Amino acid sequence: MSNVLPPRYQRNYKSISVEDQAKLAKAAIAIVGCGGLGGSMAEEFSRLGVGKLILIDGDHVEESNLNRQLFATEETLGIKKVEAARKRLQAVNSTTELKLIYDWFDENNAANFFEGADLVCDALDSISRRVTLEKACHSLGLPLVYAGIAGWYGMLGVSFPGDFSVSRLFRHGEKGVEKTLGNPAFTPWVLASLSVVEAVKIIVGREASLRNSWLQVDLLDMEFERFELM
Amino acid sequence: MQVNVKLFASLREGRFKTEVVDFDSNSRVIDVMNKYELPPEEVAICLVNGRDADNEHVLQNGDTVSLFPPVGGG
Repeated sequence: MSNVLPPRYQRNYKSISVEDQAKLAKAAIAIVGCGGLGGSMAEEFSRLGVGKLILIDGDHVEESNLNRQLFATEETLGIKKVEAARKRLQAVNSTTELKLIYDWFDENNAANFFEGADLVCDALDSISRRVTLEKACHSLGLPLVYAGIAGWYGMLGVSFPGDFSVSRLFRHGEKGVEKTLGNPAFTPWVLASLSVVEAVKIIVGREASLRNSWLQVDLLDMEFERFELM
Repeated sequence: MQVNVKLFASLREGRFKTEVVDFDSNSRVIDVMNKYELPPEEVAICLVNGRDADNEHVLQNGDTVSLFPPVGGG
């Protein structure tokens, strides 16, 4: 059965069936933020065969991004992150359609930015904007995969319209501990991969594992613990 | 009364993962935070027995309090 797939997707099989591969090819996923989380997510979606990616970031690549951000290389320093994304993703999978938005997400541009999207991935670095993003997604009827990272730690989950999981989890305080703990390479890559897993399940019609719950990730103690949002 | 206190992520640093602690009856979540010098702005999520609770929630003997910091980066 896998021989009907292009060779580049044959190793997705049979974790991803031929039918699921077709669903991914028809899917459009928006990623808000092209930094540590967003870069790794985009790369994985592209390799998996997601048909269209909408990448949103109003920033440029800086030297301080080099420790963790996939699109940040010595060659891309100073250019727009979405342009760095284009270079990388076209090299990885030229069949991935890209909609690149050099701008910052806010509630007023969400409908325009997310037009045609089936799902949104949060790769923001701001708690308040993450809450805004959830409200925008819910008003547009879009599921959201959200994640946050700081130092050795991270958390992620899935919010369907009406769940308001992000609002409940992130209602206290704007200043996350990442301001003091930094963001070493391994944490965004782990959390990005976990986010991509949830996103793929939603796209292919499997049940998301982290709806009305969140996964607390502690890489220092290598603990992954799931909590219910009750 | 005894309360099981569980700390997560950076809140563990210099403290502990889990500890059973004696508190006066009618102690609240904020009293747990104060005991361990945890400013409320450094605690994003508070669960009591797995359920969302605010800082004024009054604890009972045998409760488990789980505290998590805000993790906002991307």
